Amino acid sequence: MTDFVRFLAAWALLHESADEGWKAAIARGRAQSPGDAEAGPDAFVDGLAALVESEKERLKQELAQQGDQGHATRGEDAALAAQVDAVRFELAELRGRIESLQASIDALVAQKGD
Amino acid sequence: MASRGRTIAAVALGRLSRAVVEARLGLVRGHARRAIFARHARLACEALGPAFIKLGQLASVRPDVFAPETVFEMEQLQDRVPAVPAEDIEAIVRHELGRPVQDLFAEFRAEPVATASIAQVHRAELARDYRPVQGALLPAGTPLAVKVVRPGVEASIEADLAVARRWAARLEKLSRLARWRPAALLEEFEHTLASELDLRNEGRVADRFARDFSDDARVVVPRVVWPLTTRRILVTEFVEGWRLNDLGEAERAGIDARGLAAHGAEVFMRQVLVHGRYHADLHPANLFVTPDGRICYLDFGIVGRTTPSQRIAIAQVLVATVYGDADRALRYSRELGLEIPQHQEAAVRARVVELMQRTLSAPGRADVRGFALGFLEMLADFRIPIPSGYGLLVKALVTVEGVARAIYPDIDIVESARPFATRLIAAQLARPERLRERLPAALSAALRELAA
Repeated sequence: MTDFVRFLAAWALLHESADEGWKAAIARGRAQSPGDAEAGPDAFVDGLAALVESEKERLKQELAQQGDQGHATRGEDAALAAQVDAVRFELAELRGRIESLQASIDALVAQKGD
Repeated sequence: MASRGRTIAAVALGRLSRAVVEARLGLVRGHARRAIFARHARLACEALGPAFIKLGQLASVRPDVFAPETVFEMEQLQDRVPAVPAEDIEAIVRHELGRPVQDLFAEFRAEPVATASIAQVHRAELARDYRPVQGALLPAGTPLAVKVVRPGVEASIEADLAVARRWAARLEKLSRLARWRPAALLEEFEHTLASELDLRNEGRVADRFARDFSDDARVVVPRVVWPLTTRRILVTEFVEGWRLNDLGEAERAGIDARGLAAHGAEVFMRQVLVHGRYHADLHPANLFVTPDGRICYLDFGIVGRTTPSQRIAIAQVLVATVYGDADRALRYSRELGLEIPQHQEAAVRARVVELMQRTLSAPGRADVRGFALGFLEMLADFRIPIPSGYGLLVKALVTVEGVARAIYPDIDIVESARPFATRLIAAQLARPERLRERLPAALSAALRELAA
């Protein structure tokens, strides 16, 4: 069960699940007394959401303590590289258009010379 | 002008009267009658020259407007015209670039390698190194394809369009034809044609396409030489290979034809469903297979686009189709704008199930073209309007199959599409926003199962 909750917490941390429905379920789950989670499927979901949320916070702290900055940096680097690549392509595209326009201008100048 | 109008009228009426006779004055019904009229419409387009050939090509990518028989008939349009003399082509090059071909190219061959009603293509050689927009440097001596718009084409098209505008205005007044919105259609056609006559647009699309598939070593897109490209001239690298319609047994033996066919299908689906830009004039004459077993795309004159929401819906319909799930296909079809009246739902569903069983699930090879044609006919029978995004999907499926079979005739495209379709849906579902959307419902459902 702990592994299952930890798995859900890791998933929630990865995707930062924080929509209103999820938040409300966590709040209801935190307000439950022992045994309330057995009152039915909805109550169980609320209790599980609260459990996952607290496990998620624990996971966050663990990761922060490990000082694992490398992963985030790699992700940022990849995003930056993709952006640079996109800009570089647009610049090359623009160069192509300018070269074509230059060819047309040269032709007009040549015609004028004729 | 008036005489051209009379010529067009004579050809159109001549073909129409032959079609009426062939259809036994209307005694031949349904699909057979539509096929007769479509064939005569194609022959009329071929007889009337560039503007009408282009009009036919446009009809072939608009199943939302034209009957399915017309759409598939127009794919057969023969665009063969006598070559323009080399000196006329060289004169255009000189006019467009201000210098004779001898100064611009290391070599320019007078014999054209391809001729069509709008442009013709000559071989040449690059005089100086050039760094293209995408990909590696092109060294001096690189073989080139020089595509040149034929002299007088713009004027003859403009003259035909002037006649067509007058006719469209008259046709708008006829209630039977008003639903086709001929004036609006003509305007759209003019826009497409204007874009196609400016070859720089094609060059830009080719560059974008090359970028979209820069991670795919099996896709080749000829690189554009921009300093030699203008509105009437497009210069790209020349790619050696066989056109798909010229691919014989000997050529197929030297390549992994089956793998290439499946890959070709996947590349097209990636265009439609991932990049949202696709080659809308994809027929075997516009595709090459290189001696080292890669696919080369040519002629980016007609390009279609799909929006992100269309892509999701099309992907879902595609998956439903390849897995034979009629309910799911119809559900997502609604998101593409297909409106099935409630009182027809059961009948439409029954026809789709029957069609899927007959064409896609039958023993042996799936028949996507048969499915597409049957589906469009079914919509016509129920008088259900076809939204443009939907027509695109149906055409895309048929195109994929046609191209793949040109490479490997025995391919089962439905079988080949399954892995890609599944990966595509998985990728869509794995997006955080989609997961977040579905998680509470999924958890509740799972827990209800557990609690039951």
